[in-house]
Amino acid sequence: MTMLSLTPRRRRRLAGMGLTALTYVVLALMLAPIAWLILSSLQTRGHLADGVYDVLHPTFAAFGEMWRAVDFGRYFVNSLIICTASAAIATTLASFAGYALARLSFRGARAFGTSVVATQLIPGSMFLLPLFLGFIWLKQNTPIQLFDTHVGMILVYTAFFAPVAIWFMRYFFQQIPRELEEAAMVDGCTRFGALLRVVLPNAAPGVTATFVYAFLMAWDELLFVTALTEHTAETIPIGIRNFMGNYAEEYAQLMAAGVVSTIPVMVAFFATQRWLVKGLTAGAVKG
Amino acid sequence: MSTHSPTAPIAPPAPPAAPEEAAPAPGRRLTSSRSGRRLAYGLIAPAVVFMVLVHLLPTAGGVLLSFKNLNTFTFSQLFAAPWNGLENYRAILFDSANPLHSGFLGAARNTAIYTAVTVGGTLAGGLGIALLVNREFRGRRVVRTLMLAPYVVPSFVVGVLWAFMFQSDSGIINRVLVDGTGILSERPAWLLDHSLLAIIIPSVWRGMPLAMLIFLAGLQSLPRELYEAAAIDGAGPWQRFRYITVPLLRPLIAIQLLFGVIYSAYQFTIPVVMLGSNPGPDADLMMTLIVRQSFSNNLFGFGAAASTLLTLAMLVWVAVWFRAFRRDLEAAA
Repeated sequence: MTMLSLTPRRRRRLAGMGLTALTYVVLALMLAPIAWLILSSLQTRGHLADGVYDVLHPTFAAFGEMWRAVDFGRYFVNSLIICTASAAIATTLASFAGYALARLSFRGARAFGTSVVATQLIPGSMFLLPLFLGFIWLKQNTPIQLFDTHVGMILVYTAFFAPVAIWFMRYFFQQIPRELEEAAMVDGCTRFGALLRVVLPNAAPGVTATFVYAFLMAWDELLFVTALTEHTAETIPIGIRNFMGNYAEEYAQLMAAGVVSTIPVMVAFFATQRWLVKGLTAGAVKG
Repeated sequence: MSTHSPTAPIAPPAPPAAPEEAAPAPGRRLTSSRSGRRLAYGLIAPAVVFMVLVHLLPTAGGVLLSFKNLNTFTFSQLFAAPWNGLENYRAILFDSANPLHSGFLGAARNTAIYTAVTVGGTLAGGLGIALLVNREFRGRRVVRTLMLAPYVVPSFVVGVLWAFMFQSDSGIINRVLVDGTGILSERPAWLLDHSLLAIIIPSVWRGMPLAMLIFLAGLQSLPRELYEAAAIDGAGPWQRFRYITVPLLRPLIAIQLLFGVIYSAYQFTIPVVMLGSNPGPDADLMMTLIVRQSFSNNLFGFGAAASTLLTLAMLVWVAVWFRAFRRDLEAAA
């Protein structure tokens, strides 16, 4: 029996089954590299060199060794400190500015909104060079130490990820009914008090999603940390590059380091996925 | 109190205490009051300070540097380095004897190819996946969630992982394509001979989930009746896609093109992790070139001038984009 001799209904059913099968094939292809990362981290160095895996006998040895080869613990802690602090400060700034954009009308609102977007047009290298020179100048001429310090990286990342965070928070505030804060204000709250005590708690999932998104982006940043640090404030991406430079053959450890670097952001993303997805799509869908 | 909106709670008479907001009428009136404006400026002030200190002033500084002769010999002078006029620009754009000239043109070409293929592939792949998972089938919710996973793998891990998979001898990709299936008859040295393709593929892989998310949100907001009406009129699946889905998704395609091109043109992490700080003439991108010449060779004047040119190129792109998609933006607004 050929396709053509089927009734239209059965033909559509078959086509549907084919598309579903195709969907699962695509999913397998999308996940295969991640599966390979995990599988490889559980093998010995020898297996990886041959390319012949012993999947039935996984070993966690690489996960122990990777902390000793390079000082991965230090990079990890630096990443945690810098990303948490900058995401927290960026989210705080964004909560205030996002609220102003969502609810208050003021002269310059449009200009402010536009310049927030415009910051995304400038290539990092444009302000990286002056920042680098400025940090060096401050180090040589003033007691302000920003080059290769946690504070310096936190300031830079806060400014970087604040613009996107502002758009996220603006959207989340727009989703909250105005009546909530109006009721609070009728009850004697100032508008700022209403923002802190009524609006922000109601926007909590949005605040969390914004924080996670800023954290994800800071966790991923390599360009600025390469130029603005040399030892004390280096983060995981630098650690991975040092790893590749000095232990190029230690692939099992490198894959283990990859898994360890991915787990925190993966967990954070999927824990807040419902809201994060809203923030990510809202900008594009609503314009 | 005539401005009361019908949904507002019934307010008791305003307490006489707060003189500035004596009648807290909801909506417009209050938000445009003077105290509302003052609050607004106070609320945006911290963000503005950060943007001025880290975006605006350094960008101005970058433009300034592009007219300076800042290199190894003048580095100690920092911003006080001697002026150089348009020399940096002349060397980059017109001095064919200068190796920076050919390096810049090569990087510009590579960046254009990388950006066009990456953005095209990401949008096409993302739309395809969105159409697949927009259907009714068993496990749809789980599949949609799992499809997002590549997006959450950090770029530097993406680089490490794909460099490992692209290894010529023992890498899984050659083992599958050459040893396993025989699709290829010889083992390509991906990272050497096909380096641009080798950084494009992981970039598309990591970008597709976000494109899928955005397209999926768009597909779910499309009116069902249109499709039913078109089906009754005898339009096949391809015609429905071509004449209903694509036109209605145009605003989403537009916005993703805008930011996708900018993001790709500024890509640094994936090439640098996979191919090192000098990816070679076939895959050197604008950002890898600028960073290498600035920080390895101390040619800061060059780096600043090349960054300025890159910014100008993006401004041209935004203008072109705006002309092409203005109608869609007005329709969406």
